[in-house]
Amino acid sequence: MRQQYAWRSMLLNGIMAVVAVLIILQMVRIQASAEAEAFREQANAFKGGYKTYYPERGEIYDRNGHLLAGNQIVYEVGVDLTTVIDPHSVAMAVSVNLDKDFDEVYSEILNPPPGISYLVVDNFASSEAVAYLEDLKKELGESENPTPSLAGLEFSPRLQRSYPEASLASNVLGFVNREGRGYFGVEEKYNDLLAGNPVQVWVPNDPNRAVEIPRVPNGTSLILTINRDLQDAVEEILDRSLSEYDAQHGTIIVMNPKNGEILAMAATPRMDLNNFENYGAIYDNASEYNRAIGMPYEPGSVMKIFTMGAALDTGLVNPNTTFLDTGEIQVGGVTIRNWDQAAWGVQNMVGCLQHSLNVCLTWVATQLGPQNFYGYMNRFGFGHLTGVDMSGEAAGRLKVPGDADWYPVDLGTNSFGQGITATPLQIMTGASAIANQGHMVTPHTLYAMLRDGHQFNVPPQYAGSPIRSDTAATLNEMLAISLENEASAALVPGYRIAGKTGTAQIPTPLGFYDFSQTNASFIGWGPVDDPQFMIYVWLERPSASIWGSQTAAPVFSEAAQKTIILLDIPPDSVRLNMAAR
Amino acid sequence: MNTTNRLNHAYSQAPWRVQRQWVSIFLLIVLGFAMIATLYLMVTSQAGIVGREIQDLRLAIMETEHMNADLQTELARLTSSNEMERQARELGFRAVKPEEVEYLYVPGYIAPQGPTLAAAPGLQPSAPSTPPEYTQSLLDWLNERLQTPDRGLR
Repeated sequence: MRQQYAWRSMLLNGIMAVVAVLIILQMVRIQASAEAEAFREQANAFKGGYKTYYPERGEIYDRNGHLLAGNQIVYEVGVDLTTVIDPHSVAMAVSVNLDKDFDEVYSEILNPPPGISYLVVDNFASSEAVAYLEDLKKELGESENPTPSLAGLEFSPRLQRSYPEASLASNVLGFVNREGRGYFGVEEKYNDLLAGNPVQVWVPNDPNRAVEIPRVPNGTSLILTINRDLQDAVEEILDRSLSEYDAQHGTIIVMNPKNGEILAMAATPRMDLNNFENYGAIYDNASEYNRAIGMPYEPGSVMKIFTMGAALDTGLVNPNTTFLDTGEIQVGGVTIRNWDQAAWGVQNMVGCLQHSLNVCLTWVATQLGPQNFYGYMNRFGFGHLTGVDMSGEAAGRLKVPGDADWYPVDLGTNSFGQGITATPLQIMTGASAIANQGHMVTPHTLYAMLRDGHQFNVPPQYAGSPIRSDTAATLNEMLAISLENEASAALVPGYRIAGKTGTAQIPTPLGFYDFSQTNASFIGWGPVDDPQFMIYVWLERPSASIWGSQTAAPVFSEAAQKTIILLDIPPDSVRLNMAAR
Repeated sequence: MNTTNRLNHAYSQAPWRVQRQWVSIFLLIVLGFAMIATLYLMVTSQAGIVGREIQDLRLAIMETEHMNADLQTELARLTSSNEMERQARELGFRAVKPEEVEYLYVPGYIAPQGPTLAAAPGLQPSAPSTPPEYTQSLLDWLNERLQTPDRGLR
């Protein structure tokens, strides 16, 4: 009997062992199957997810610590469809306070896209609107009646670029779009620095596995060389000048010629950077965003200072060299005449600059020869980018012998600024060599970077020495004397200024020049013995007068007087007295 | 022989005592596991709660930083160039003319050389000095030891 039970027991054990082995084999088979991998992936997807933490975009300050670009809180407003109980009230509150279409919001809440449990209704709601909605939601939530209710309405704050000065220096700053990418100006040039590095971390859904939220370092803040008050003053002068001289557009740049710091850069049109969506309505193309660096033009007689600089540097002429101006000169089979079609007789080189004689400067260029002339123009930086730290710079065009579209007459016309294109900033960069003892500076807007509580100042950079220091001193003096002799409208009482006007005819698309419209320009700097500012004025197609001497020159004077006050530059007599003590 | 049997009988455990001993050992093992499980649950739940509290504090810091940035921008808006000019005009001020400016010679005065906007270095919090023995759980310690075999179990 016992033997019989023993066999039964052994049989049962055997069956159970076989079943156990089969179960184990099945478990292994399931674990190794293709479906298991899919299930594992599905499980991992529910374990948690990657979350990206974006750093706060670096701020932009002017050189005196005024905030030009900061950040402000905006809210993402959404509806949690799993908790919403009164879609009508939610849609009504959103439509009234966030300026949304009621029917659209209501319909989306009632018929959300498949698989959606959270519906975003506004990405950039203001703090004020959200504060009101939050109060309303709380008030309705405390009410005893279940409806009306804003349950399910959620608010998530985040930072967005904001420009407290609105349109001030908009051409310099550029803007940041909704996705956080910088466009134009400093915002685009230094986008990587300003934006910082986002950090991505894996966040588990398991409540017991709370991972640490990383400390994301903010983007680098920038201190610009721009002086906010001077920028404001210059923009105001420019706007008034456009109206006064009935010009279509204009540019005024103020730069320190000793180190290339751009103190102010005004151009039209400007836009409120907080409403960058209007960009398309204001600008036809990207080059118009900042005409000071993006729009090369034929500058006219301001180029004569470079022709004269080249001639002085090679020893071809000196200030007392005389030239008999007969009113016309032949170059490459083409007759070139003065601006007034007149003959000015015997002139020395100061007189040639003072009366802005095309014939004289053409003669100087022909005496230099193409190789010398274009060699100097190249060294002054024409045809090259200045390297200014703003996005959207254009290089202009310097045709040289050998180019398919270069003709011998170009040597003559280029000498007085026709047939050559350059941006206002390129001309200033070249002229900085004259104001700065022969050393040309690289224009820049970045003064310093702020990171981790430390300030890193950016040293000035020099872009070569196209002329000798004695040549620069001689030309400085010639330009100052020519302005004084001419009793130019550009003169600034109490300060000795060097400079040159420019009036350039505008080429038409057909290749001819439009004689009725001009570009009026003036470049000047001062005080001559210790230049602390250089100002460039460009007025496009002024109709009150076509001459730079009657439009751009007085604008220069006004801008210079404002600059002198805001930069605390004492009159020459006071300054020289101080130096003598 | 009889003597031996008697001695064996006298000193051998009664069957019920052997049974009770086995039950006691089993219960002790169960109790040990229960204690370890309770300890594990306590430590992990406390770690989870502290982790969540740290998360909340970090979020509060982020919110405060965002608020700071927002207020700074708002302050800049209130002191913007246009706003300050408007307020100055309302108070009766006007822009100075070049001929009205007087320059004084101040012996020894050195003009500022350039802007410095970097914040003054504040007090640096001392580095955390609590040794891990006071903060890590038994399981954390065990895990660390197993994952760094060169250190081994000591």
